[in-house]
Amino acid sequence: MHNVTLYHWEPNANSGKPMLALMEKGVAFNSHYLDLLNFDQHKPQYLAINPQGTIPAMLHGERVLTESTAIMEYVDEAFAGPSLMPQSARDRWRVRWWMKFMDQWLGPSFSMIGWSVFVGPAVRAKDPAELKAAIERIPLPERRVAWRKAIYAQFSAAEMQESQRRVALGIRMLEQELARRPWLASNQYSLADINGFNLAFALPLSQPALSNDELTPNILRWLRAIYARPATKACWAMGRTNLAKRITILEQPHIGEGQPA
Amino acid sequence: MSLTLYHGEPNGPSLTVLAALFAKEVPAQLVHIDLAAGARHGLACAHEPLVAMSIEGEGPVLVADGEAMTDSVFIACYLDDVGQGPALRPAEPYGRWQLMSWCRQMIERTAPAAAYLGCRAHPPHASNAALQGIGSVDLRARWEQITAAEFSAEQLTDSRTKLHQAVDKIEARLDGRQWLMDGFSIADLESFAWLAGMPALLPAAFAGKPRTGAWLERVRSHPAVARALSQARTADPTASWSVGPEINRWG
Repeated sequence: MHNVTLYHWEPNANSGKPMLALMEKGVAFNSHYLDLLNFDQHKPQYLAINPQGTIPAMLHGERVLTESTAIMEYVDEAFAGPSLMPQSARDRWRVRWWMKFMDQWLGPSFSMIGWSVFVGPAVRAKDPAELKAAIERIPLPERRVAWRKAIYAQFSAAEMQESQRRVALGIRMLEQELARRPWLASNQYSLADINGFNLAFALPLSQPALSNDELTPNILRWLRAIYARPATKACWAMGRTNLAKRITILEQPHIGEGQPA
Repeated sequence: MSLTLYHGEPNGPSLTVLAALFAKEVPAQLVHIDLAAGARHGLACAHEPLVAMSIEGEGPVLVADGEAMTDSVFIACYLDDVGQGPALRPAEPYGRWQLMSWCRQMIERTAPAAAYLGCRAHPPHASNAALQGIGSVDLRARWEQITAAEFSAEQLTDSRTKLHQAVDKIEARLDGRQWLMDGFSIADLESFAWLAGMPALLPAAFAGKPRTGAWLERVRSHPAVARALSQARTADPTASWSVGPEINRWG
């Protein structure tokens, strides 16, 4: 037993990154599920672990680790099991470049769309006073702004349009890169693929006009190859909401343009 | 291995990479370009996706055996891997996690703030032709705003707050230590590179922070940093700024 506890939400975006990395390494961990839609991550019990109130956080022995991408590099280095970083220094640079690009440029655009269609509506039905109090408890001011926008549907048309532009461009860049090599950043399955899959696993469902077997055959090949891995199956089985269940779209042998609506 | 580094004045990301290159004793051809005039967008590699879409803004480019690499912290990690000089990252995984998560906060919170204030005080000056050559739509938009001197009060306040927070964090971290990690590292380089010009622009953030003040001098005197600073073509490289990373557009 490795004495690892992971505080996480669904296998999706930031939470799913260390979950899948741990599973690929074969590291057993105590799973501590936080319900993001119930604001578990801003409750005192969790703030005692991570005062910033961001998910995920990992406990390894007495040590607390945050920042999902940095946690993944730690997981790869601290535990035995298959290496999730390539041997070549230049390949490792490429892995990090793509992870930063997805974490800081493409990911926020995906999540703005995701939050406006999934997270916002899911929590909006709660008692308004309770919601207001929940927002006030968020430690980081910028996260408070983010939640307020999602809950009260305050994303402007211009903001949504910019996110959609970035998603479309990001999809084209991923397709081009995946046409060059089997995996995103090197010829070996790596943390960049784990990061990217968490961002894009439901792409043919969420962006059917931009990503399908006709338009982005390499992205679909890549997503299916990651879905076929036993660690991925085990990881997504830990999901509790429909967010994680969207992964089954990858079981379809062919996803045509405009389908599914 | 054939390496060419296209870099600007030794400030911000160019300083990180130049100092890492010297610390690691990596031989490379150095080519000084005017990042503040948008000169990076005229390079032969400018439209390669991992150059054009680098979200660091106007940072240096290291061309290694034909592949153009961007993003200063990750170039520094690469140089740490391939160079002969003393390690610029801790050896054990937890120390490396500390370094990478430290740098992530620097990249995401401090760098955009410093570049915003730096560009306001010392505006970069690209020609229209240079602006048209910029492949990234959002980078070009930041150039256009800065060229038109459009600085929002909200983003200026946000930037000042983030710089105060960065200095507070450094001051706390340096309690009982000389460097941000256990030895001189990429965390010192990246933090110094963005903050070296800030005492002149935001003195309040540094007031009553003796450990930070001493650390800035210590990093400045490190032989690799001193050699990087000696590449300057202007009298004060900390006053040389170009468009930096985007201030978080959402949360």
